[in-house]
Amino acid sequence: MKKNEIMIIIGLLAVSLIGIAAFYLIKASDEPLSVRVTRQGEIVAVFPLSKDHTETFTDAAGSNTLEISGGTAKMVEADCPDHICVKTYPISSPGETIVCLPHKLVVEVITGES
Amino acid sequence: MNSKAYRLVILSLYVAMALILSYIESLIPLPLPIPGAKIGLPNIITLVSLLTLGWPLTLLVVIARIFLAGFLFGGGFSIVYSLGGGLLSLLVMSLLLHFFKDKISIILISVFGAITHNLGQVIVAAIVVQTTSLLLYFLFLMLLAIPTGLFIGITARELMRLLGKTTIFAKLNLPQKK
Repeated sequence: MKKNEIMIIIGLLAVSLIGIAAFYLIKASDEPLSVRVTRQGEIVAVFPLSKDHTETFTDAAGSNTLEISGGTAKMVEADCPDHICVKTYPISSPGETIVCLPHKLVVEVITGES
Repeated sequence: MNSKAYRLVILSLYVAMALILSYIESLIPLPLPIPGAKIGLPNIITLVSLLTLGWPLTLLVVIARIFLAGFLFGGGFSIVYSLGGGLLSLLVMSLLLHFFKDKISIILISVFGAITHNLGQVIVAAIVVQTTSLLLYFLFLMLLAIPTGLFIGITARELMRLLGKTTIFAKLNLPQKK
Protein backbone atom coordinates (compact mmCIF):
# COMPACT_ATOMS: atom_id res chain seq x y z
CA MET A 1 0.00 0.00 0.00
CA LYS A 2 1.38 3.38 -0.98
CA LYS A 3 1.60 6.57 0.99
CA ASN A 4 -1.24 8.30 -0.85
CA GLU A 5 -3.53 5.35 -0.21
CA ILE A 6 -2.88 5.66 3.53
CA MET A 7 -3.71 9.36 3.19
CA ILE A 8 -7.02 8.48 1.48
CA ILE A 9 -7.90 6.11 4.31
CA ILE A 10 -7.01 8.71 6.94
CA GLY A 11 -9.15 11.15 4.95
CA LEU A 12 -12.12 8.77 5.01
CA LEU A 13 -11.69 8.27 8.76
CA ALA A 14 -11.62 12.05 9.24
CA VAL A 15 -14.76 12.52 7.11
CA SER A 16 -16.77 10.05 9.19
CA LEU A 17 -15.45 11.33 12.54
CA ILE A 18 -16.02 15.00 11.64
CA GLY A 19 -19.44 14.08 10.26
CA ILE A 20 -20.46 12.39 13.50
CA ALA A 21 -19.08 15.25 15.62
CA ALA A 22 -20.81 17.85 13.43
CA PHE A 23 -24.06 15.94 13.69
CA TYR A 24 -24.03 16.06 17.49
CA LEU A 25 -22.82 19.68 17.65
CA ILE A 26 -25.29 21.12 15.14
CA LYS A 27 -28.25 19.30 16.59
CA ALA A 28 -27.34 20.05 20.20
CA SER A 29 -29.77 22.50 21.77
CA ASP A 30 -31.42 23.37 25.05
CA GLU A 31 -34.86 22.75 23.67
CA PRO A 32 -36.85 19.90 25.16
CA LEU A 33 -36.49 16.65 23.25
CA SER A 34 -39.21 14.38 21.91
CA VAL A 35 -39.40 10.89 20.53
CA ARG A 36 -41.14 10.56 17.18
CA VAL A 37 -42.42 7.23 15.93
CA THR A 38 -43.10 6.90 12.21
CA ARG A 39 -44.34 4.02 10.12
CA GLN A 40 -43.56 4.22 6.38
CA GLY A 41 -42.98 7.94 6.67
CA GLU A 42 -46.24 8.65 8.50
CA ILE A 43 -46.06 9.94 12.05
CA VAL A 44 -47.69 7.49 14.45
CA ALA A 45 -46.92 9.11 17.78
CA VAL A 46 -44.74 11.73 19.51
CA PHE A 47 -43.75 11.50 23.17
CA PRO A 48 -41.69 13.85 25.35
CA LEU A 49 -38.33 12.23 26.14
CA SER A 50 -38.42 13.57 29.68
CA LYS A 51 -41.47 11.56 30.76
CA ASP A 52 -41.22 7.82 31.39
CA HIS A 53 -43.61 5.96 29.16
CA THR A 54 -44.07 2.53 27.59
CA GLU A 55 -46.19 1.85 24.56
CA THR A 56 -46.70 -1.04 22.16
CA PHE A 57 -47.19 -0.38 18.46
CA THR A 58 -49.04 -3.07 16.59
CA ASP A 59 -50.06 -3.40 12.98
CA ALA A 60 -50.56 -6.19 10.47
CA ALA A 61 -46.79 -6.77 10.23
CA GLY A 62 -46.25 -7.23 13.97
CA SER A 63 -45.65 -5.34 17.18
CA ASN A 64 -42.88 -3.31 18.81
CA THR A 65 -42.73 -2.10 22.40
CA LEU A 66 -41.01 1.22 22.98
CA GLU A 67 -39.86 2.24 26.45
CA ILE A 68 -38.89 5.76 27.40
CA SER A 69 -37.19 6.00 30.76
CA GLY A 70 -34.59 8.27 32.34
CA GLY A 71 -34.26 10.43 29.21
CA THR A 72 -33.52 7.60 26.80
CA ALA A 73 -35.71 5.64 24.41
CA LYS A 74 -35.27 1.96 23.77
CA MET A 75 -37.10 -0.77 21.93
CA VAL A 76 -37.64 -3.41 24.59
CA GLU A 77 -39.62 -5.94 22.63
CA ALA A 78 -40.40 -6.86 19.03
CA ASP A 79 -41.83 -9.91 17.31
CA CYS A 80 -39.75 -9.52 14.15
CA PRO A 81 -37.31 -12.28 13.17
CA ASP A 82 -34.05 -10.34 13.47
CA HIS A 83 -34.55 -8.24 16.65
CA ILE A 84 -32.14 -5.65 15.31
CA CYS A 85 -34.16 -2.80 16.81
CA VAL A 86 -34.03 -4.42 20.26
CA LYS A 87 -30.24 -4.70 19.99
CA THR A 88 -29.84 -1.04 19.03
CA TYR A 89 -28.34 1.19 21.72
CA PRO A 90 -30.79 3.37 23.68
CA ILE A 91 -31.16 6.74 21.94
CA SER A 92 -31.16 10.13 23.64
CA SER A 93 -29.58 12.73 21.29
CA PRO A 94 -31.38 14.51 18.43
CA GLY A 95 -30.98 12.67 15.15
CA GLU A 96 -30.38 9.26 16.68
CA THR A 97 -32.68 6.57 15.36
CA ILE A 98 -33.90 3.07 16.03
CA VAL A 99 -35.16 1.29 12.94
CA CYS A 100 -37.30 -1.83 12.70
CA LEU A 101 -36.98 -2.80 9.06
CA PRO A 102 -39.47 -5.69 8.94
CA HIS A 103 -42.19 -3.51 10.48
CA LYS A 104 -41.06 -0.32 8.67
CA LEU A 105 -41.01 1.51 11.98
CA VAL A 106 -38.61 4.37 12.77
CA VAL A 107 -38.08 5.84 16.24
CA GLU A 108 -36.23 9.13 16.21
CA VAL A 109 -35.20 11.73 18.77
CA ILE A 110 -36.20 15.23 17.65
CA THR A 111 -35.94 18.70 19.17
CA GLY A 112 -39.06 20.48 20.31
CA GLU A 113 -42.26 19.32 21.86
CA SER A 114 -44.54 17.23 19.64
CA MET B 1 -10.58 -30.08 -18.72
CA ASN B 2 -11.37 -27.17 -20.99
CA SER B 3 -11.18 -23.65 -19.68
CA LYS B 4 -14.96 -23.11 -19.62
CA ALA B 5 -15.51 -26.08 -17.33
CA TYR B 6 -12.54 -24.99 -15.25
CA ARG B 7 -14.07 -21.55 -14.79
CA LEU B 8 -17.31 -23.17 -13.67
CA VAL B 9 -15.44 -25.21 -11.05
CA ILE B 10 -13.68 -22.12 -9.71
CA LEU B 11 -16.97 -20.20 -9.74
CA SER B 12 -18.71 -22.90 -7.70
CA LEU B 13 -15.81 -23.00 -5.27
CA TYR B 14 -16.10 -19.25 -4.73
CA VAL B 15 -19.85 -19.49 -4.08
CA ALA B 16 -19.30 -22.32 -1.60
CA MET B 17 -16.52 -20.48 0.21
CA ALA B 18 -18.45 -17.20 0.33
CA LEU B 19 -21.44 -19.08 1.75
CA ILE B 20 -19.34 -20.65 4.50
CA LEU B 21 -17.87 -17.25 5.35
CA SER B 22 -21.41 -15.82 5.56
CA TYR B 23 -22.27 -18.58 7.97
CA ILE B 24 -19.17 -18.03 10.12
CA GLU B 25 -19.96 -14.33 10.14
CA SER B 26 -23.50 -14.97 11.36
CA LEU B 27 -22.01 -16.91 14.29
CA ILE B 28 -19.79 -14.06 15.47
CA PRO B 29 -21.89 -10.94 15.92
CA LEU B 30 -19.79 -7.86 16.63
CA PRO B 31 -20.11 -6.76 20.25
CA LEU B 32 -21.32 -3.34 19.14
CA PRO B 33 -24.76 -1.83 19.59
CA ILE B 34 -24.79 -0.69 15.95
CA PRO B 35 -27.35 -2.80 14.12
CA GLY B 36 -26.29 -4.28 10.80
CA ALA B 37 -22.56 -3.92 11.52
CA LYS B 38 -20.64 -6.88 10.14
CA ILE B 39 -17.02 -7.80 9.43
CA GLY B 40 -17.76 -8.54 5.79
CA LEU B 41 -15.91 -11.87 5.55
CA PRO B 42 -17.62 -12.91 2.25
CA ASN B 43 -16.06 -9.84 0.66
CA ILE B 44 -12.70 -11.68 0.75
CA ILE B 45 -14.13 -14.01 -1.89
CA THR B 46 -15.75 -11.17 -3.83
CA LEU B 47 -12.35 -9.47 -4.08
CA VAL B 48 -10.49 -12.63 -5.10
CA SER B 49 -13.20 -13.44 -7.63
CA LEU B 50 -13.13 -9.92 -9.05
CA LEU B 51 -9.38 -10.20 -9.58
CA THR B 52 -9.46 -13.68 -11.10
CA LEU B 53 -12.79 -14.05 -12.93
CA GLY B 54 -13.74 -10.44 -13.67
CA TRP B 55 -16.94 -8.63 -12.76
CA PRO B 56 -19.60 -10.49 -14.81
CA LEU B 57 -18.89 -13.83 -13.14
CA THR B 58 -18.34 -12.15 -9.76
CA LEU B 59 -21.83 -10.70 -10.08
CA LEU B 60 -23.07 -14.30 -10.23
CA VAL B 61 -21.00 -15.25 -7.17
CA VAL B 62 -22.38 -12.32 -5.17
CA ILE B 63 -26.01 -12.88 -6.15
CA ALA B 64 -25.82 -16.64 -5.52
CA ARG B 65 -24.17 -16.11 -2.14
CA ILE B 66 -26.70 -13.50 -1.01
CA PHE B 67 -29.74 -15.58 -1.97
CA LEU B 68 -28.37 -18.82 -0.53
CA ALA B 69 -27.19 -17.19 2.69
CA GLY B 70 -30.46 -15.28 2.97
CA PHE B 71 -32.56 -18.43 2.70
CA LEU B 72 -30.28 -20.53 4.90
CA PHE B 73 -29.40 -18.32 7.83
CA GLY B 74 -30.85 -14.85 7.38
CA GLY B 75 -34.36 -13.60 7.65
CA GLY B 76 -36.18 -13.19 4.34
CA PHE B 77 -35.70 -9.46 4.76
CA SER B 78 -31.94 -9.63 4.90
CA ILE B 79 -31.79 -10.58 1.21
CA VAL B 80 -33.10 -7.20 0.04
CA TYR B 81 -30.61 -5.24 2.15
CA SER B 82 -27.72 -7.52 1.31
CA LEU B 83 -28.52 -7.12 -2.39
CA GLY B 84 -28.54 -3.33 -2.07
CA GLY B 85 -25.18 -3.38 -0.31
CA GLY B 86 -23.61 -6.22 -2.27
CA LEU B 87 -24.46 -4.84 -5.70
CA LEU B 88 -23.46 -1.23 -5.00
CA SER B 89 -20.22 -2.39 -3.42
CA LEU B 90 -19.45 -4.68 -6.38
CA LEU B 91 -20.20 -1.86 -8.82
CA VAL B 92 -17.85 0.57 -7.05
CA MET B 93 -15.08 -2.01 -6.64
CA SER B 94 -15.34 -3.01 -10.33
CA LEU B 95 -15.17 0.62 -11.45
CA LEU B 96 -12.16 1.32 -9.22
CA LEU B 97 -10.41 -1.76 -10.56
CA HIS B 98 -11.25 -0.79 -14.14
CA PHE B 99 -10.08 2.80 -13.99
CA PHE B 100 -7.16 2.55 -11.55
CA LYS B 101 -6.05 -0.98 -12.29
CA ASP B 102 -2.36 -0.61 -11.54
CA LYS B 103 -2.54 2.38 -9.26
CA ILE B 104 -4.80 1.00 -6.54
CA SER B 105 -4.17 -1.77 -4.01
CA ILE B 106 -6.62 -4.51 -3.09
CA ILE B 107 -6.72 -3.03 0.40
CA LEU B 108 -8.03 0.36 -0.70
CA ILE B 109 -10.55 -1.29 -3.04
CA SER B 110 -11.72 -3.35 -0.06
CA VAL B 111 -12.16 -0.24 2.12
CA PHE B 112 -14.25 1.47 -0.57
CA GLY B 113 -16.19 -1.77 -1.03
CA ALA B 114 -16.97 -1.94 2.69
CA ILE B 115 -18.13 1.68 2.86
CA THR B 116 -20.31 1.42 -0.23
CA HIS B 117 -21.75 -1.88 1.01
CA ASN B 118 -23.06 0.00 4.04
CA LEU B 119 -24.21 2.88 1.85
CA GLY B 120 -26.23 0.51 -0.33
CA GLN B 121 -27.86 -1.09 2.69
CA VAL B 122 -28.71 2.27 4.27
CA ILE B 123 -30.19 3.51 0.98
CA VAL B 124 -32.43 0.42 0.71
CA ALA B 125 -33.42 0.78 4.38
CA ALA B 126 -34.20 4.49 3.92
CA ILE B 127 -36.44 3.65 0.94
CA VAL B 128 -38.23 0.82 2.77
CA VAL B 129 -39.02 2.78 5.93
CA GLN B 130 -39.33 6.07 4.01
CA THR B 131 -37.10 8.19 6.16
CA THR B 132 -34.21 10.52 5.47
CA SER B 133 -32.83 10.44 8.99
CA LEU B 134 -30.35 7.59 8.66
CA LEU B 135 -27.33 9.80 7.91
CA LEU B 136 -25.93 9.62 11.44
CA TYR B 137 -26.38 5.86 11.39
CA PHE B 138 -24.50 5.66 8.08
CA LEU B 139 -21.61 7.74 9.47
CA PHE B 140 -21.22 5.26 12.34
CA LEU B 141 -21.27 2.36 9.88
CA MET B 142 -18.72 4.14 7.67
CA LEU B 143 -16.38 4.66 10.63
CA LEU B 144 -16.58 0.96 11.40
CA ALA B 145 -16.23 -0.06 7.73
CA ILE B 146 -12.74 1.43 7.50
CA PRO B 147 -10.99 -0.98 9.93
CA THR B 148 -13.05 -3.97 8.77
CA GLY B 149 -12.37 -3.05 5.12
CA LEU B 150 -8.63 -2.85 5.87
CA PHE B 151 -8.71 -6.24 7.56
CA ILE B 152 -10.64 -7.86 4.70
CA GLY B 153 -8.37 -6.21 2.11
CA ILE B 154 -5.18 -7.45 3.80
CA THR B 155 -6.65 -10.94 4.08
CA ALA B 156 -7.66 -10.94 0.39
CA ARG B 157 -4.20 -9.73 -0.65
CA GLU B 158 -2.47 -12.48 1.32
CA LEU B 159 -4.89 -15.07 -0.04
CA MET B 160 -4.18 -13.92 -3.60
CA ARG B 161 -0.43 -14.11 -2.92
CA LEU B 162 -0.67 -17.64 -1.54
CA LEU B 163 -3.03 -18.88 -4.26
CA GLY B 164 -0.79 -17.27 -6.86
CA LYS B 165 1.96 -19.69 -5.86
CA THR B 166 -0.26 -22.64 -6.72
CA THR B 167 -1.42 -23.63 -10.19
CA ILE B 168 -5.08 -22.97 -9.38
CA PHE B 169 -5.28 -19.80 -11.45
CA ALA B 170 -2.90 -20.93 -14.18
CA LYS B 171 -5.69 -22.08 -16.47
CA LEU B 172 -7.68 -18.89 -16.08
CA ASN B 173 -5.14 -16.98 -18.21
CA LEU B 174 -4.82 -14.22 -15.66
CA PRO B 175 -3.08 -11.01 -16.53
CA GLN B 176 -0.09 -10.81 -14.18
CA LYS B 177 -0.86 -8.33 -11.44
CA LYS B 178 0.90 -7.68 -8.19
